[in-house]
Amino acid sequence: MNIRPIYPFTAIVGQDKMKLALMLNVINPGLSGVLIRGEKGTAKSTAVRALADILPEIPVFADDPYQLDPNEEYESYLDIRKALQLPPPEPGEQPQVGMRKVRVVELPVGATEDRVVGTLDLEHALKKGEKRVEPGILAQAHRNILYVDEVNLLDDHVVDVLLDSAAMGVNTIEREGISFTHPARFTLVGTMNPEEGELRPQLLDRFGLCVNIEGIQAAKDRVAIMERRAAFDLDPEGFAAQWTAESTALADRLLIARALYPQVQVERPLLFEIAQYCLDVGVDGHRGDIIMLKTAKTLAAFDGRTETESADVQTAAELVLPHRVRRQPLMEIADNIQGLRKRALAAH
Amino acid sequence: MERTVYPLAAMVGQETFKQGLLLAAVNPAIGGILIRGEKGTAKSTMVRALAALLPEIPVVRGCAFSCSPEPGEDRCPDCQRRFPQLETTTRRARLINLPLNATEDRVAGGIDFPRSLQRGKVVFSPGLLAGAHRGLLYVDEVNLLDDHIVDLILDAAASGENRIEREGISFRHPARFILVGTMNPEEGELRPQLLDRFGLCLEVAGAKEPEERVELMERRDAYDLNQDGFCAVYQAASDQLAHRIAQARARLSRVRIGANLRGFIGELCRENNVAGHRADLVMEQAARALAALEGRAEVSVDHIRVVAPLVLTHRRRDAQPPQPPPPQPPPPEPPEDRQDEQDEQEEQQPEQNQEENQQSQEQQEQQQKQQAPEQQSQAENQEQPAEQETQEEQSEGQEQQAANNRDEQLFEIGPAFKVKPLTAVKDRIVRRGSGRRSRSRISQKKGRYVKSSLQTNNDIALDATLRAAAPHQRQRACDDGLAVHLTRQDLRGKIREKRIGNFLLFVVDASGSMGARGRMAASKGAVMSLLLDAYQKRDRVGMITFRRNEAFVNLPPTTSVDMAGRLLAEMPVGGRTPLSAGLAKSHEQVRNYLIRNPTAQPIVILITDGKCNVALGERKPVEESLHLASALSRDGRIRTIVVDTEEAGLVTFGLAQRLAGALEAQYFKIDDLKAEALVNIVRGQQQ
Repeated sequence: MNIRPIYPFTAIVGQDKMKLALMLNVINPGLSGVLIRGEKGTAKSTAVRALADILPEIPVFADDPYQLDPNEEYESYLDIRKALQLPPPEPGEQPQVGMRKVRVVELPVGATEDRVVGTLDLEHALKKGEKRVEPGILAQAHRNILYVDEVNLLDDHVVDVLLDSAAMGVNTIEREGISFTHPARFTLVGTMNPEEGELRPQLLDRFGLCVNIEGIQAAKDRVAIMERRAAFDLDPEGFAAQWTAESTALADRLLIARALYPQVQVERPLLFEIAQYCLDVGVDGHRGDIIMLKTAKTLAAFDGRTETESADVQTAAELVLPHRVRRQPLMEIADNIQGLRKRALAAH
Repeated sequence: MERTVYPLAAMVGQETFKQGLLLAAVNPAIGGILIRGEKGTAKSTMVRALAALLPEIPVVRGCAFSCSPEPGEDRCPDCQRRFPQLETTTRRARLINLPLNATEDRVAGGIDFPRSLQRGKVVFSPGLLAGAHRGLLYVDEVNLLDDHIVDLILDAAASGENRIEREGISFRHPARFILVGTMNPEEGELRPQLLDRFGLCLEVAGAKEPEERVELMERRDAYDLNQDGFCAVYQAASDQLAHRIAQARARLSRVRIGANLRGFIGELCRENNVAGHRADLVMEQAARALAALEGRAEVSVDHIRVVAPLVLTHRRRDAQPPQPPPPQPPPPEPPEDRQDEQDEQEEQQPEQNQEENQQSQEQQEQQQKQQAPEQQSQAENQEQPAEQETQEEQSEGQEQQAANNRDEQLFEIGPAFKVKPLTAVKDRIVRRGSGRRSRSRISQKKGRYVKSSLQTNNDIALDATLRAAAPHQRQRACDDGLAVHLTRQDLRGKIREKRIGNFLLFVVDASGSMGARGRMAASKGAVMSLLLDAYQKRDRVGMITFRRNEAFVNLPPTTSVDMAGRLLAEMPVGGRTPLSAGLAKSHEQVRNYLIRNPTAQPIVILITDGKCNVALGERKPVEESLHLASALSRDGRIRTIVVDTEEAGLVTFGLAQRLAGALEAQYFKIDDLKAEALVNIVRGQQQ
């Protein structure tokens, strides 16, 4: 069975903010993910799955399904092998290292906690009478993108578990007689339809960026969406092939930005601008400041610059602050941060 | 798995926080610290940073219970037997994280499955409490912890010992640890018993000064770019801090406190009306720890003054009473009389002026809509004069029309009442669902596995089954290639637990008679407070309003409490009172909900003055509504509360009270409702 090609990222019409947020996370996984809020039928899931097109490759151990980093996580590699009761590498022998593409791992809505976190390997326990860990989805998501569709409909305790891991970068399994910890640094991308209920503030805050999207109004864009979709459905491979050049160009651009990021500088006055912005609109804690700084730098890198500019800070604010602005639990998530800031300043 | 930790010495600001942590680390007798605060304030980061600075302790080599080799200390049975021939080593005190997904057997300990298999008898496997002994137990989001795990930890923290009596094991071991909890109060408050167990409590918030924020950003960014390099820069400061802690610990037992100061502590606690005596003891320990940290041999008054807030905040019993709602401005006299007359006239002449009413109402609508501003704090004062002006203008023209006019008005939401946290009593009925108000055992395979039972109901608990079978394997061994032989008696089932939310249906009278004198504002305030509570508890809410001729379902059952709040703010008021329609509609909604969720316990909250004047059928309106009400009361699953908004005055109809009687509902006057009362009412319904 041939795997059906995914609808290309570059072929998505409009929704530039969402695409930008996703791309920034590909450049810099330290941005802590994206929450995409929007009505139905706005290509939320399509865009996330389409990301697979433009993701970079990372170094991994050749025989390891959990994407551990050969440069930093050798210890964890040995630990996992032991927990899975695989033979350890021969002394003096270096395990094989290869390159693998970053994947989008999907978390289904009905996922139960034991599948997400990992649990006792039942089969092994029954056959051999020994305890063995069966790693869950969080292990597979390490250094990948974890996509949670309808994140607001997840069971509370699964959400709690995601929170824990997303924050700390490790997943700890302490259940059913198993005790095990493994790294779990993933980019969390969630989508949701706000009509169905809001997310807890804790989980909202863990998402680095947040974008609100709506259906496109311009008639010619709507026509373009229909045309492209029809073409894709008719001949997926052909359609995907048409966009290959663009996809490759974008993937390369992201790679260059990734390499450039560590060199990006921020002048101190800009830092004050960020701090003042957050104070003006009113955010809880400091995550807003920190992520705004990183986002602004990532924007500069995406643009091929090593100097961050004020415009980067403004754009970053629109992505980073909407879901962090302090509000009553029953009030709306802010839509336009610039406007909000003006109003807040005027009110003083 | 070692990971670099952001150094405590590099934290910007948060001096009280740092100090609190240091106190708890120096003197475990304080009994732990609870850190409350908004998100993004480095709570978890600080605690992990602290753990990295704790001094080394002598332990028995290879003992999983971190037993102390010192004479006079208690030990696990194994070490106790071998004492004093114990091999010792030193290592850093451990930080044990309590993950949210921990099951009871991991926390308290359970059967060591492989060893029990081998030895053919029950062998105990230590849990997290064993590992935390003489260390730090860190519970992030302590307000979200499962009740039974909380009880486990409480017990151990109080007695200093962990006693296990389950699944064929009988074991005890010492468990004295520093309990550090963090929580975000937005997500719900902590049970009072747990609150008191924490020696100290402090609040954290984000920095207000831009300079501080910038500093914080710079450091964090530097850390993320090069963790090892960053930590190296702060190594000297970190070492100094660690040294300070170690010295303070050594000095602690020699710190003296004068009898007069003890008296001072007693006075302080008495004045603040704290429950029990734990506060006194904790304050002394905290003051001594502070003195030790400062290198003093004796506690001074200043030490006590510094630690007092940390000890008393969460224990003070007569805390500031909840902010009273800003008083509603009394309307000037003349319109009051006129509105009374209008009320009565409307009752007496319902049929005649219907046409006229509609027209003038339309006109009024347009005028009012242009006027009303939506600023919460000011509107009440402004709107009342505005509407009175318009009424005066109208009445100059046609007395009759004006008298029967019920203006379309948008009312601001009254001040929200503060709602006390609700918990319902756990019951044994099997349910499905997700929410936080009531805890229920549930039947679908969802929810956290909390314990095992002898009934399997299709949800086998493999670990418990294996543990039950383990000790017997030796006897059952035979050559059929299976490692484990199970018999029917070994099978255990999972009991899962999940918080079930309730369904709160608000049925709100939006007719004109509610528009008078802030009845609407007060009603909305009451509903708002319940909505806030529902938000935290993940209840579903629905809203029906009835006015003019019919009832509208403004909000079908949803967890989107936001929408309920928004609807509330935008809800127009005016027109007649079709109470029967409201009752019928609410019955329909609840019945539909029950079809989908047969084990639910929905609550209908009816807010009205009962003065209905529109009937669904041929009967008189009031009679009809009472008849419907008694029909509704027949379904025992539905619980109803009636909130009477009729104002106490010379003439009262008491219709809402009769309605409550017919509904077999609890009855309250809105004037009598204060913050705690409404919530207690709803809580009362759930028991």
